[in-house]
Amino acid sequence: MKAFLTLLLSLGLGLTAQTHPKLERAQPIPVTDAIAEDPAVAKVIAPLSLELKASFGKELVQCPTGLMRGKFGEENLLGYWVADLMRERAQQVVGAPVRFAITNAGGLRGNIRPGVVKIADVYEVMPFDNELVVAEYTGAEIIQIVKDAIRRRAGEPCSGVSAKVLGTPEKPEFSITWSDGSAIVPTETIKVALSDYLLASGDTISTLRNGRRPITTGVPLRDLLLDACTKLGESKTPLQAPSALRYEFAPGIYQALRDKKIVW
Amino acid sequence: MERRNFIATLGAAAAVSGLTLRAEPTPETVRLTLLHTNDTHSRIEPFGPGNGAVSGKGGMARRATLVKELRSQLGNVLLLDAGDVFQGTPFFNQYKGSLDYQLMSMIGYDAATLGNHDFDNGVEALLKAMNEAKFPFVNCNFDMKGAPALAKRVQPWLVKKFPGLKVGITGVCVDFQGLVAPKNHEGVKWLDPIESLKPVIKHLREREKVDMVVLLSHLGYDLKGGGIDDRTLAATLPGIDVIIGGHSHTFLDAPVSIKNSGGETLVFQVGFGGVNLGRMDFTLAKGAVKASSGGALPVH
Repeated sequence: MKAFLTLLLSLGLGLTAQTHPKLERAQPIPVTDAIAEDPAVAKVIAPLSLELKASFGKELVQCPTGLMRGKFGEENLLGYWVADLMRERAQQVVGAPVRFAITNAGGLRGNIRPGVVKIADVYEVMPFDNELVVAEYTGAEIIQIVKDAIRRRAGEPCSGVSAKVLGTPEKPEFSITWSDGSAIVPTETIKVALSDYLLASGDTISTLRNGRRPITTGVPLRDLLLDACTKLGESKTPLQAPSALRYEFAPGIYQALRDKKIVW
Repeated sequence: MERRNFIATLGAAAAVSGLTLRAEPTPETVRLTLLHTNDTHSRIEPFGPGNGAVSGKGGMARRATLVKELRSQLGNVLLLDAGDVFQGTPFFNQYKGSLDYQLMSMIGYDAATLGNHDFDNGVEALLKAMNEAKFPFVNCNFDMKGAPALAKRVQPWLVKKFPGLKVGITGVCVDFQGLVAPKNHEGVKWLDPIESLKPVIKHLREREKVDMVVLLSHLGYDLKGGGIDDRTLAATLPGIDVIIGGHSHTFLDAPVSIKNSGGETLVFQVGFGGVNLGRMDFTLAKGAVKASSGGALPVH
C-alpha cells in the first residue's frame, strides 16, 4: 500500500484537493408585492408596526428639496446639515468657538426625501445612539483629517473648512482653509465637534483618535436632528439645504478618487 | 484504508494515469439549493415609496412565503445569512434586533454569521437578541476569549447533513477597526480571516469530510485595496466552494467565479435590505471523492 501511495504522489495527486459541486442555476429572486405575505409572520409584524407608526409617524417639518447623502465624493448635503448642527450645538454647550465639525458619511443611513419629514425618517438617517462630543486638535491635525477623508472617501461631511484638490491625479495639490478662506494655523489648538464613535474609533481616519480634552455633551446626535426639525416645523420654516461647495476637485480628480488611482 | 477511500484512490489514479476502470460506476447525484440574504438591516417591512429602485421591495413576511414555496418545491435547502441583520429602521431602535431574529427563526434560517452592525448595541445586547434566534451562528475569525457567553453562542463552523451529502459552513467578519466602537465589541478580538479559515477548511475537508464548504462572509465583495475582501479571499485561499457575501451591499446578477490554486470559488451577494433572496442550485456526485485530477469520481 505504501508503494501505491508513493505512486499516487508521484502522479501529482493530493487527496485533499477539491473538486467543485456543479452549479446548475443561480439568481437573485426579487422580493416584490407579487409574493403574498406569510400570514404567521405578518401577524407578528402588524401590531408592532402599528405601535411604531404611532410613535415614529409624527410629522416634524417640510423639506421641499430633500437632503441627500450624495454618493462617493458628491456633495453630501445631508452630511453638511448634520455637521453644521453639530458645530452649532457644540459651541452652545462649551461656550467657546468650535471651528470644525466632522461626521462620517457611513454613519448616515438614509436620505431625507422631499416632502414631510417624520420622526421615523430621522431615525433612518441616524439610527445609531452616538453622542456629540467636543475634543481638541491642532490645526495640522485638522488638515490631516481632511486630507485623509479625501483620500479614503473623497471627503467626509464637515463644517467650517473648505477643501480643494487641484493639480492632476498624478500630482494632486491640496488647499485646505477655513470656510472664509483664511489659513489654518498648524500649531493652533482648535475645538472640534464629532461623535463619540469617531473619537473612539476614528472610522477610517486614525488622526481623529488623537482628540484631546474630550467633553461629552450628553446630546445624542439623533436628538440634535430631531430638535432642529421640530423647531423649524414649529416656526413653519421649511428645512433647506445648507451651503454646498465644501469640497472642490480639479477635472479628473474626482474620478481618480473613485477609482483609487490618485498618486499620493 | 477504508474500502471507500481505497476505491476512490484507485479511481483518482485512473483519472490521472489514463487507466480505465474495470467497472464504470453509474453517477448518482444529489442536489442542494442555497438560499441566502445579506445586510437585511432590520427591513422588517418592504421599503416605502421614494427609495428609488428598491421602493416597494423586500419585507420579511414576503420572504417567508418565498422560502416556504421554494422549500416545498426543492429537496435539500439551506437558508443562510451573511450578517448585518441589525440596524437601519426604527424596528431596530425599538426591538434591538430581537424581532429580526425571531422572524428569521420563523422563516427557518439554518445559519447566519455576524456583521459589524450586529455589534452596534454591544455584546450584551447582541446576546439578548440571540435568545430569539433558533438557528446557529458561525464565525471563525473572532477571538472571543474575553466574551465567553458569546463564544458559546457562535461556533467556528458547523456541518449540515442531508442523505448522501455533508455541507460545511463557516463565517468571517470584516475588521472592526473604524466600523465598530471599541466598547461595543469588548472581549471580542478580530483576527485575520485567511489565517483563521485555513485550519477550519482543513478540518471540514479532512476530518468532517464534507462534500462542500460554504463561507458566510461579511468582508465585502470588492474593497478596491481597502482590506481583505471576498474576491481577494477567493483568489488566495483554495478549498471554499461558495462564498455568500455581505457588507458591501453589492447587487450581483449571478455568482462570480474566482480561480485559485484549488480550482475555483463562487462568490455571490444580493444587495441589501432583503430586496432579493439569493438562490444557487448545485448538483454533487454522491459520495464525491476529492481529487486534483478535476473530475469527481462517484463511489458506491
